[in-house]
Amino acid sequence: MFTFLKKDILILIRDRTELFILLAMPFILIAILGFALSGVLSGNTEVLSMDVAVVQEDDEEQGLERFEEELAASGVPADAQNEIIAAAEESSPSSLLQEILNDEGLSELITAREMDASAAKAALEDESVVAILTIPENFTFEALQKMIMDEGEGSSLQIMISDHAATRSEVFYNIMEEFVWSLNFESAIAKAADGEGALPEAEQTQIGGVESVSSVNPINSFQYYTIGMAVMFALFVAATISGMAYVEKTQFVFHRILLSNHHPLVYLGGKAIAAAIVTFLQFCILFFLSSLIFGAFSLGDLSFWPGMLLITFSLALCVGALTALLTAMTMRFGNDTITTVFSGGVVTIFAFLGGSFTPTEGLPAIVQQLGGWTPNGAALNAFLIWVQNLEISMLADPVGRLLLLTVLLLSLSVIILPRKGEA
Amino acid sequence: MLETEELKKVFKGKTAVEGASLYIDKGESVGLLGPNGAGKSTTISMISTLLKPTAGDVRLNGKSVINNPAEMRQLLGVVPQEIALYAELSAYENLKFFGRIYGLAGKQLETAIQQALELVGLKERQKEIVKTYSGGMKRRINIAAAMMHEPEVIIMDEPTVGIDPQSRSHILEMVRKLNKEKGLTVLYTSHYMEEVERLCDRVYIMDHGKIIASGTKEELKSILSSEETVLIELDRPYPEFFKELQSLDTIKQASETERGIKLILPKGSRVLGKVFQASERHQVQIINVNVQTPSLEDVFLHLTGRKLRD
Repeated sequence: MFTFLKKDILILIRDRTELFILLAMPFILIAILGFALSGVLSGNTEVLSMDVAVVQEDDEEQGLERFEEELAASGVPADAQNEIIAAAEESSPSSLLQEILNDEGLSELITAREMDASAAKAALEDESVVAILTIPENFTFEALQKMIMDEGEGSSLQIMISDHAATRSEVFYNIMEEFVWSLNFESAIAKAADGEGALPEAEQTQIGGVESVSSVNPINSFQYYTIGMAVMFALFVAATISGMAYVEKTQFVFHRILLSNHHPLVYLGGKAIAAAIVTFLQFCILFFLSSLIFGAFSLGDLSFWPGMLLITFSLALCVGALTALLTAMTMRFGNDTITTVFSGGVVTIFAFLGGSFTPTEGLPAIVQQLGGWTPNGAALNAFLIWVQNLEISMLADPVGRLLLLTVLLLSLSVIILPRKGEA
Repeated sequence: MLETEELKKVFKGKTAVEGASLYIDKGESVGLLGPNGAGKSTTISMISTLLKPTAGDVRLNGKSVINNPAEMRQLLGVVPQEIALYAELSAYENLKFFGRIYGLAGKQLETAIQQALELVGLKERQKEIVKTYSGGMKRRINIAAAMMHEPEVIIMDEPTVGIDPQSRSHILEMVRKLNKEKGLTVLYTSHYMEEVERLCDRVYIMDHGKIIASGTKEELKSILSSEETVLIELDRPYPEFFKELQSLDTIKQASETERGIKLILPKGSRVLGKVFQASERHQVQIINVNVQTPSLEDVFLHLTGRKLRD
């Protein structure tokens, strides 16, 4: 059997087109999808994380005092004055802004560093920050005057963004815009409700549109698509190796093998093991490169990789069994339609159902269930469980499915494969 | 040594081979002749145990091999019509693979590879990838692969199809040596009558799935011993002239060749006068007339009514 698998691997290595499809193609797709869809997945803060300089020119305390003075001079009744002052202290824009910047949810994304104007400018120039947020003089007073008393022009936050990190500084700008919008919204509600309280706590955490951070490790887009593309392109290994069987059949090499008194099952076993080895190597290469170039996974985390390799091994077995089935069908029916249809259509359907292109959570339950029974879908689930550091017992379901599929596919291939004399 | 008895193969209701009986003695070189679709390859597949016959038997030293092909396969080397090699591997890697699947290893394998390469004259180019070889070189490695386990019987299914004359000559000489010098038993099928005439001691002629004649070359030619062949070389085809010759009573068979017309007629027939008269009537320019004794090709034409490469 070793002779057969060695030959298959040698032929594959010599075929540059196939190698490109199996290794370069998924890597290119990981790069494209990882960058393009980075916002689709939660926890994708690593790529967008940024340092921001905050220049504080406003004196909040002084602003509040000045607001109280103005209020006292306005002739508002004393009772109402006390309520407005309490509301102003509670919804001081400067405090709210500090809260936002130091929010736990945003802390992974934004690191705010307070500095003076000249230091901030220098930091922007040497690219150590992506933006400067200036809270201007009299910001508290002018904002409160506008928000509560509807007097004056209000105040504007000043944001200076850098060209060197256009995307990240744009994201920061958007977060600040959201903040200002919700501040205006809050004051509008407060006025409509006759001065009642600030925004509820839950709404405040939505500011900036950043998704909440759960207790599990978040998956970023590069992690997701490294796994998604790897499990998808593992299916092409099955198509490639079984495609070789068709060539062997049509060029009568298979007859030569039969004439050497080898049982067809030995040949089939060679194909299955070759596919399993190629799949395993393919994963190792893709995981390594994606970790090295995109930082998808930590290469130094020794407790992380055994689990990944175990799941890869389970999938490799399943791909081996799938290869055996495709090979047996090719031998039985004597044409390459099966492998052509598989690589041209079935792989794409499996990839969609299994969630290689996009997470299946938003899709109908039936699609999710079907996807869970595809080799790639089951493996993807297992990888996601492991990467998110969920309960290890949760792996039993997807890995169990992979092993069950392996047994089923192998059994079918043994039934379908023509015996001696039939070939 | 090797014999078939009334072999029959039916594919989806269509009979490909019917009642094919032949035998090959140890050390013999036997040709199997027939046009495309005659059933040669099917017969060879049944003999080499790759195809189960619908009826009949294949015996090796008197023992049936239909249900027990292992012993037969060990003795057989089969050279298929197709280039049954891995195009992405080198000649050396191909031979190593085919040697290994026959259980060869280590020094024995290396010796077998070098001997096979020596035999086909490709020792110098053994490291090159097969797909870069010429058609003739591929055919030679195709033969070498079948020789790796030193078979006693070699079955060759049109091993010289589509190659240049030089490679063809090399292969024929190689087969002749294997048979005459090394005592290898050869079953050889071909479209080319001259190959069979050059290599084979005996010939079986197949047509429409049946063996229609067999014997030594001389025996087969004796079928036409009372006849002779007249080759008329013309400057160009003359269909009306050919039609008139076909209608002559004394002519047993008339066929058009590349350069003119071939007539088979009873020995001593006085037909040439009529041929020249007809040529004058049709204003035919005769370049040459040659009277010969019949060849195997003529025998084949006589038996099947068609040329070997039809």
